[in-house]
Amino acid sequence: MLAARKRAATLYVERATQQWVVLDPEGNFWSLPSTDNPWDERQPFTPAEETELEPVPAHYKAMLGLTF
Amino acid sequence: MTAEHDRLEEAREQKVPWKKWGPYLSERQWGTVREDYSEGGNAWDYFSHDQARSRAYRWGEDGLAAISDDKQRLCFALALWNGKDPILKERLFGLTNAEGNHGEDVKEYYFYLDSTPTHSYMKYLYKYPQAAFPYADLVETNRGRGRHEFEYELLDTGVFDQDRYFDVFVEYAKASADDLLMQLTVHNRGPEPAELHVLPTLWFRNQWSWHSASDRPLLQQIAGTPARGVVKAVDAQLGERYLYCEGEAPLLFTENETNTQRIFGVPNRSPYVKDGINNHVVHHQDGVVNPDKKGTKVAAHYRVTVDPGACAVIRLRLCDKAPAALAQGNGAGGSPFGSQFDEVLQARRKEADEFYAAITPPSLGTDAANVFRQALAGMLWSKQFYHYDVDKWLEERGSDPFKATRKAAPRNDHWHHMYNGDIISMPDKWEYPWYAVWDLAFHVLPLTLVDPDFGKQQLKLMLRERYMHPNGQIPAYEWNFGDVNPPVHAWSTIFTYRLEKAQKGEGDRDWLKSCFQKLLLNFTWWVNRKDRNGRNLFEGGFLGLDNIGVFDRSAPLPTGGYLEQADGTAWMALFCQNMLEIASELAMTDPDYEDMALKFVEHFFWIGSAMGHLGGDTGMWDEEDGFYYDVLRLPDGRAQRLKVRSMVGLLPLCATTVFEGALLAKSPELAERLQWFLMARPELCAAVHDPRKVGVAGRRLASILDETKLRRVLAKMLDENEFLSPYGLRSLSRYHADHPYLFHAGGQEYRVSYLPAESDTGMFGGNSNWRGPIWMPVNGLIIRALLQYYTYYGNDFTVECPTGSGRQMNLYQVAEEITRRLAGIFLRDGEGRRPVYGDTSKFQNDPHWRDLILFYEYFHGDNGAGLGASHQTGWTGAVARAMHMFATTTAEQMLQLGKQAAMVETESAWGARLAARV
Repeated sequence: MLAARKRAATLYVERATQQWVVLDPEGNFWSLPSTDNPWDERQPFTPAEETELEPVPAHYKAMLGLTF
Repeated sequence: MTAEHDRLEEAREQKVPWKKWGPYLSERQWGTVREDYSEGGNAWDYFSHDQARSRAYRWGEDGLAAISDDKQRLCFALALWNGKDPILKERLFGLTNAEGNHGEDVKEYYFYLDSTPTHSYMKYLYKYPQAAFPYADLVETNRGRGRHEFEYELLDTGVFDQDRYFDVFVEYAKASADDLLMQLTVHNRGPEPAELHVLPTLWFRNQWSWHSASDRPLLQQIAGTPARGVVKAVDAQLGERYLYCEGEAPLLFTENETNTQRIFGVPNRSPYVKDGINNHVVHHQDGVVNPDKKGTKVAAHYRVTVDPGACAVIRLRLCDKAPAALAQGNGAGGSPFGSQFDEVLQARRKEADEFYAAITPPSLGTDAANVFRQALAGMLWSKQFYHYDVDKWLEERGSDPFKATRKAAPRNDHWHHMYNGDIISMPDKWEYPWYAVWDLAFHVLPLTLVDPDFGKQQLKLMLRERYMHPNGQIPAYEWNFGDVNPPVHAWSTIFTYRLEKAQKGEGDRDWLKSCFQKLLLNFTWWVNRKDRNGRNLFEGGFLGLDNIGVFDRSAPLPTGGYLEQADGTAWMALFCQNMLEIASELAMTDPDYEDMALKFVEHFFWIGSAMGHLGGDTGMWDEEDGFYYDVLRLPDGRAQRLKVRSMVGLLPLCATTVFEGALLAKSPELAERLQWFLMARPELCAAVHDPRKVGVAGRRLASILDETKLRRVLAKMLDENEFLSPYGLRSLSRYHADHPYLFHAGGQEYRVSYLPAESDTGMFGGNSNWRGPIWMPVNGLIIRALLQYYTYYGNDFTVECPTGSGRQMNLYQVAEEITRRLAGIFLRDGEGRRPVYGDTSKFQNDPHWRDLILFYEYFHGDNGAGLGASHQTGWTGAVARAMHMFATTTAEQMLQLGKQAAMVETESAWGARLAARV
């Protein structure tokens, strides 16, 4: 059995709405509030055409409570 | 033995961890490759100085006069505020590569004044202006200047006029391995009383934010102690530590976490973020420091008003003793700052003096001893915890090497095996806060004057599986680990081994053996990767000499085809000799290595003879000029020498090593096999110095240059109109000042002119220049080579030095003369001026500046002024080794002992020198 490496998620920030945005490994977007448990309080997010997502380094995953 | 030698011994035997705490923070973590997560790899812009106060670092910390433990869990540094700056002075400011007219450059004045090798005593000086720091002026004025203009320096701004600045001295003294006393002394050099905010700061490197499982450490004020300002620091791995702050300074707590509002535009989860203390002190913001007096970053906020010419003293203590335990050890009052504090501080200062007195040759004199000590202090202050998990870094930027849909990373894409997390000697902790492997080989030369164990550990570290690529390549530096640096690791390895053997009577053969195995992999990598046609002629690209060539030697040539590089091939010849030296040494007790010794003898001849090119083809040696050049091989089969008279052509002179013949005497069979090889291939012996010719004391010489070629190259090298400057050997001949080398290709003219100061092009970042200036490491290699030739040829081989002067010298005297000129860069001349400071009157005349020595990256080819990185004590610190060597050996000893003479310090040599001075 191959040892598993963590599945990739991509982090963004949307400055217009001042929120974190996560693209999970299944291809779903989520918006995260700035709280102590951001991932637990995630909301589905659908980027609009005018949405500007700025990449955030993946090492912020743990800070946002992401487990993957 | 001094007390510091005892500590070194205790550390070596792992009895006491004396090196656990040291100056292991960088001077600049922002703008590094490690912190860069940009798409295109623009490290300088991605994480800026402006962001640094607000954004938590991923891989390491920086700070002023900073220290940490050897895993950099807990950090301590100085922060200052003059009441006028827009930000706290928490870290050194400098220009990015794009902002500076000659690339990146720190714009601050700071000095590494002293350090013992265990860091039992350290001293640092920072000069802080009382007026607002001219951040914008420095950026704008430098940006507006061209490559032909000088850099605009902090002194040029006028901010130090009327001496309106503070000298802030920071001293550390270890009462024990885990008990650090700190004394900050603030001098007002200005004409009026002035106030300074002093904020000694303690913080944890942020690991908890990046690892979900990581325990979060805690800093917390504790009450009810004799000393009011006490911070308890708790970390799962480090345990408990206490910071004691003398006096009544308020403690300001925040978290070492990113201010996401400022950096990403997303509200902070907590009001306490990395720049909380800055915002509290500078902007008087409410609610940004934690009233509960806890966090992961804390500063004691002192405000001192200092009269002109006066000073204020602040004392702190960081140790593993809780207040009650500390009080017991400090007698009445239980103060951590009782008389014991002063006694320990005085004792460590004295012990540092004793240590340096023990290793400084008396003949150096006061000024040279000061230069020598500051060079070594700079070497020791330039140690840094370097942390870089490349696999993790690639994964975090979406370039996971095991993911099918990965993005290619802008750099280091094939180095995912690497995990670095060690204390490493840096070239310059601001301009080059990352290791560079060929620099490191030179760093070891002076470092072994004070700490041979550290030197050995550094050389071995680069060969470990966490560093060396599985294919055998040694990592170059973080901007491109896959770049190719000159292979000098084996040379530094055998030097270090011999040094220990000379000092202890026995070398560390196990260490040498394990290094040799890995160096073999590296040698094979070179042979298989950098010899395009299997003809023993090597490429390698820029090979550390940046802009020395007509073209960028790391880029595709505008003509097509390729270069056969005189330096690349010479480096490999030297690599062969060094491997032969190591194999020969090991074969003295282990016959298994005899085959390897013979292998490297033969390989040297293949390379040397290829350089000589007897076959009538266009070779690197130019008989008319008596010099070596790179050869351009064009796609249509034509070839031509690129006649730039540069260090590239001097490096073949460095590929020389003397052998005492011990192994051949021990192993007749090996001698027979070697004899057969030489007889069977007479053309090889004809192309290089004939190894069958016996020199002084029966020695043999492996050398690319025979006596005729050697004399011709030396005539150029020692000509003051060519390479020999008053301050050492230039990287490019002065001949090209009036005779620029021109090459036309593709409708474009390529030109190499003598440029004694800064580069006039942006090649290799534009922050270095190999077209004229003097560089310490290659001068050092030439000095080594001259001493090798001397021990072979002896006193009868003399040359005119300088060429045309009518003065004859043997090669020992030539080496000594070059060393004298190099040391002269830093020493006061007959007029009391230090050439390194050129026309900067403050450094030349002011008593508070003139004995502070900066060890620059390279030096003006005509007047010796310092250029490039200002704190590259790294390889420029090698001047300390050269000064030491000529102060502790004589020509007679060199002839008698051979190479060993360079390793052995003898009283008789010191005596002879002293007598000569009298």
